[in-house]
Amino acid sequence: MVRPSSGKATLLRLGFVDPESAQASLTRLGPAAEPILAMLGLVADPDLALTGLVRLVGSAGEAEAGELLDALVDDEGSAMRLLGVLGASEALGHHLARHPEHWRELTDPTLGSSRPAAYAMRESLLRAVGADPADEVAVATLARPEALDALRVEYRRILLRLAARDIAHDLPVTDVAAELSDLAVGTLDAALAVARSVVPNASAVRLAVLAMGKTGGHELNYVSDVDVIFVHEPADRPDDPVDDQTALRAATQLAGQLIAVCGDLTAEGRIWAVDANLRPEGKAGPLSRTLAAMGGYYERWASTWEFQALLKARPAAGDLSLGSAFVELVQPYIWHAAEREGFVEDTQAMRRRVVAHIPAKDADRELKLGEGGLRDVEFAVQLLQLVHGRADDRLRSPATLPALRALTEGGYVGREDGETLHAAYSFLRTLEHRIQLQRLQRTHVVPDDEASLRRLGRGMGFLKEPVPALLAEWQRQRREVRRLHEKLFYRPLLSAVARIPGEVARLSPEAAQRRLAALGYEDPAAALRHLEALTQGVRRAADIQRALLPAMLQWFAEGPDPDAGLFGFRRISEALGTTHWYLRTLRDEGMVAERLARLLSTSRYATALLEREPEGVRILGGDLQPRATEPVVEEMLSTGRRRDDAEPGVRAIRAVRRRELLRIAAGDVLGLTDVRAVSEGLSRLTDATLEATLQVVGEAVRTERDLTEAPTALAIVAMGRYGGFELSYASDADVLFVHRPVEGADQQVAASYALAVATELRRLLGLAGPDPALEVDADLRPEGRSGPLVRTLDAYAAYYGKWHSVWEKQALLRADAVVGDPDLRAAFTALIDPVRYPAGGVGDDEVHEIRRIKGRVDAERLPRGADPATHLKLGRGGLADIEWTVQLLQLRHAHEVEGLRTTSTLDALAAARSAGLVGQRDGALLDEAWRIVSRIRNAVTLVRGRASDQLPQAARERRAVASILGYPPGSSDELVNDYLRATRLAHGVVDTVFWQ
Amino acid sequence: MGKQEDFVLRALEERDVRFVRLWFTDVLGFLKSVAVAPAELEAAFAEGIGFDGSAIEGFARVYESDMLAKPDPSTFQILPWRETVSGPATARMFCDIVMPDGSPSYADPRFVLKRTLSKAAEKGFTFYTHPEIEFYLFKDVPQKGKSPLPVDRSGYFDHTAQSMGSDFRREAITMLEQMGISVEFSHHEGGPGQQEIDLRYADALSTADNIMTFRTVIREVALSQGIWASFMPKPYTEHPGSGMHTHVSLFEGDANAFYEPGAEYGLSKTARQFIAGVLLHAPEISVVTNQWVNSYKRLITGSEAPTHVSWGHNNRSAMVRVPMYKPLKGQSTRVEVRTIDAACNPYLAFAAVLAAGMKGIEDGYDLPREAEDDVWSLTDRERRALGLDALPTSLAEAISLAESSELLADTLGEHVFDFFLRNKRAEWQEYRGVVSPFERDRMLPIL
Repeated sequence: MVRPSSGKATLLRLGFVDPESAQASLTRLGPAAEPILAMLGLVADPDLALTGLVRLVGSAGEAEAGELLDALVDDEGSAMRLLGVLGASEALGHHLARHPEHWRELTDPTLGSSRPAAYAMRESLLRAVGADPADEVAVATLARPEALDALRVEYRRILLRLAARDIAHDLPVTDVAAELSDLAVGTLDAALAVARSVVPNASAVRLAVLAMGKTGGHELNYVSDVDVIFVHEPADRPDDPVDDQTALRAATQLAGQLIAVCGDLTAEGRIWAVDANLRPEGKAGPLSRTLAAMGGYYERWASTWEFQALLKARPAAGDLSLGSAFVELVQPYIWHAAEREGFVEDTQAMRRRVVAHIPAKDADRELKLGEGGLRDVEFAVQLLQLVHGRADDRLRSPATLPALRALTEGGYVGREDGETLHAAYSFLRTLEHRIQLQRLQRTHVVPDDEASLRRLGRGMGFLKEPVPALLAEWQRQRREVRRLHEKLFYRPLLSAVARIPGEVARLSPEAAQRRLAALGYEDPAAALRHLEALTQGVRRAADIQRALLPAMLQWFAEGPDPDAGLFGFRRISEALGTTHWYLRTLRDEGMVAERLARLLSTSRYATALLEREPEGVRILGGDLQPRATEPVVEEMLSTGRRRDDAEPGVRAIRAVRRRELLRIAAGDVLGLTDVRAVSEGLSRLTDATLEATLQVVGEAVRTERDLTEAPTALAIVAMGRYGGFELSYASDADVLFVHRPVEGADQQVAASYALAVATELRRLLGLAGPDPALEVDADLRPEGRSGPLVRTLDAYAAYYGKWHSVWEKQALLRADAVVGDPDLRAAFTALIDPVRYPAGGVGDDEVHEIRRIKGRVDAERLPRGADPATHLKLGRGGLADIEWTVQLLQLRHAHEVEGLRTTSTLDALAAARSAGLVGQRDGALLDEAWRIVSRIRNAVTLVRGRASDQLPQAARERRAVASILGYPPGSSDELVNDYLRATRLAHGVVDTVFWQ
Repeated sequence: MGKQEDFVLRALEERDVRFVRLWFTDVLGFLKSVAVAPAELEAAFAEGIGFDGSAIEGFARVYESDMLAKPDPSTFQILPWRETVSGPATARMFCDIVMPDGSPSYADPRFVLKRTLSKAAEKGFTFYTHPEIEFYLFKDVPQKGKSPLPVDRSGYFDHTAQSMGSDFRREAITMLEQMGISVEFSHHEGGPGQQEIDLRYADALSTADNIMTFRTVIREVALSQGIWASFMPKPYTEHPGSGMHTHVSLFEGDANAFYEPGAEYGLSKTARQFIAGVLLHAPEISVVTNQWVNSYKRLITGSEAPTHVSWGHNNRSAMVRVPMYKPLKGQSTRVEVRTIDAACNPYLAFAAVLAAGMKGIEDGYDLPREAEDDVWSLTDRERRALGLDALPTSLAEAISLAESSELLADTLGEHVFDFFLRNKRAEWQEYRGVVSPFERDRMLPIL
């Protein structure tokens, strides 16, 4: 036999960190050292185990130490248990040093195979304090201080046996937790016996202790507060009746004593804190109540979380029949709780708050709270229990894992999900146990120092590279929990409508509808039909849908209109069902699916665009910022020119426009694009559309007329909101057409050509078709509708030289020659600049005239019956108010303030602010109002699918608009209030700046 | 359906309730009531009772009149004056007003106060109030053009009337306590037939609910005894008006935030800043604390009512009074706001006072000098020298101050702010056009 070497290298290989001290310790153990060395290499922390052993040997008497070492050498089982405990728990090491005789507990060969009975633990704990376990109302006979110490020692003795079973015999985590709960319950009984011995009138009352929380659920940790509720009734003594007050006093004293007996710090430490705060009214309520008082409270006052807590109540100590009566009393309340309005939201909101409140420092290392923590699993399981437990009493288990199993077996949770979650929860709980065992401290934070992590890793069985292996596994399990938590509610819904391979149990349609309704679907029956349609058909497609839908259902549920989202998804899926890339894209690119879900459940405008061209789904994976003009023009031209005729050519251009509209709308709904970028994007897109159409139509007209060259240069001048780079989704494009015949061209031919092109352009863009039409409106031209559609540059010059009125100057402020022949555009701009920015500013007469027109517009243009306070365009402080104000400043001061020579309202406003023409605060108010009104106007179109200048009145539309603007659910009237405030303040500014 | 709802439904059965009155308050502070049969109540809990908001003063904007009243089951009470010995009973519940999508309505005065309270709560404060409500008892139902007779007249030994007053007090107290409102009653010396009742200290929302209940109970009890109770701010030219002096304080958790041991009058910095805020903004919130044309007839020199923006320690002419500080009673440190009158909308008035005080705290206002003299006895010039601004002397003045108040707009919310001022302007216009007996008596003989 090769003698194991205790050289440094060997010690390091075995896992010792400090070989020098280890060698010294081993020397002190003498001949016993060699045989146990290999065993030390298997424990969580060999250094700690060895130190603990040396200390134990040192504190035991000489004879006892000899016996101990002999036992270790002779019996591998004893050695494994003792060294395992010493290597995993510093605290139990200290206990052994103080009570060396307890090492013998670990030589018990039955430890590995038999679970101690709960009644046996209770009896030995009662005996420890000198009470008779056979007595129904056991009373301690030891004096209080001795009883407290004795109880602590006995508690630790049993705990030591349990820890040894856990560490050396791989007890499943559920068993450990259940035994810890039994131990806690026995301890409560013994503590009550001590309390009875000191409370003078203890016999006046029957007191029951209900275990709550983890103790109640049979899933306690090594160290945790033990949650309880006390119930009492006056003792039944016909000869010496007890009044309520006396009973209450006695019960309160007993309860207080019980808490102290467990929680007081003595020479033997403390056991754990008893927490009675789950009782009615929490800290403010009396420690104990009678059954009738309890009933009265739960009937009237309790809130949602209290019912969740009651799920785990069970009689633990004291008068068990009274405890059972309490549990029976609260059962009906628990199973009605889920029907309370907003129950699911309440509970989920509660969890989100818990996650949000963890101090950031520890959030990453939290086992219990935080995303993917233990609490995630417990919450999800309890929630599902409450939702379905009323109809199905198989689900009413107080412990998390058995409840999860019942939910899985009943089909409420998918089989695979259930199993994975089970494994993840077990892992996390085991890790928690190991962390707590170390110092017997109540903590849920994974330590971050190397030594503790190493010990934990080894203790969890990762003997090679313990730290990285442990951390990787922990992260993996946490991810699993987080991933499953999201799907847990949604996936089983599919089993109600589709046969899913491998699932034995199915959710009944009734249960599925109940859950859909709880998740916010207003028409659960229809939703179920959509689900059914989506999961049938081609097998491969149905498979992918089943994988996709749980997540999609959740995203729909988070949107303002879940039903519309699901319905839209069904229609798009039916249109694209067999397209090879569609489902694959959704499955493989999570972002596309999430964006699609958000769009469908929020915006009819985007849904309509998508329905007309489902291919648009593809762009959701890409950049949703509006594109620049040139590449879009190029794309439009290359696709438009490929057609033989102008009509199909323009149709192709419009298809590109539709796709770009979807890009802008999607970016807007998803909050990626701000209001100015949206307006600018829409304006640029209109530029591109007009530019490409102008070219395609020009070519067609030339071909038709057998012209090789255009007889005249054409340009389009953007006017109004379009000119201001402020288009909204539904605005018409206001324009002027201008042309300049080329040298030597026939004026008549040129004019007729220009008119033909302009007319055809308007016709083809406005044609009804599958794409949204672009209305090109030229009504702002000189002489309005009665003037010619197209004029030459010279004609414009002549007109503006002679006739211009002040409103035309005002209109020209927004003129931006953007499309067509570049030279002509420059010439037009040069022509109108002196008109719109007159030297010296407009005169007083003209200012009066503008005010007069504005006054008339205010009075007349508002549609009959419209509410001026909520009309976005013409209302109080609406767009017209702000824009007219800015334009008046431009007319008066643009000749001297360079920055005012812009078509953009916000740029002109900024220039006016820096030039001191409006105050800083006033300018900011106008800017803010313009933005909020424009945002709402865009959002209204996105939500309704068509334009409106009125703040929506329908509740659902209002909710959706609020959601696009980023308001949390349930605050749509807040949006209205903010709108009214911004416009009222803007109106105040308009009053002084425009009218005075 | 929760257990509180279940409890209500069961109570309806057990108490043989035939009608349930759903209570809410309109913008001007009038109690509104919709009666529903018990059978409809289940639906009311789930979805609320739909009603046409445009029919309620100040509730609906044009075209969006669909609103829901959602009963709050924790406010369920049997109405004692409707209860007969064995016959059927009537009950009431307060309601929150919500929009059809479930979002709370900005037109609901209760929500105005709730919003203001939760803003204070974000800063860690809860707001407590304790109002002393004054009112008159008259012999008869008011009749147009007739001067009302008080139930008791000092110097006039009317035995029946005296006992009427004491019967009234006994019955009112009994009923208020049946409704869960505990009170202290005192017979007011000020005017004939005038009474004062103090409600127990409570959080502002409960107090406001209690004031609404209280006014109803007082009127009902009076009616049952054939007399008339009125909270009109100033029913007689020659007798004092009916105010609602309100003691207010802020708590941070369990601690009174107004208290600082050793400081002057035990007032903490928070308290001083709060008072400064209430003082500075008093003129602009006056339209809410004193909302009627008649309110401004109470705010005149010599009555118990303040006329100028001032504070003092046990100075009855001051607008804000700091009561005597009792050693060892730091928790009860509070200040008394003396402008508010008994005919205000308590939700709005409490919200406005709290907002003004919070503004003082947020912006760290400095408390002006204490007014040690009797403000009424000073000359105008002396007041100016002491920096004492006048409170508005008429509703018109109050309106124009309010119109430019961002604090008030922010507190009330756009909808209530807009409606309230429009309504008050209309009230002033109407009042301005009426020729009063004063003018006739004075001018007919000589002009």
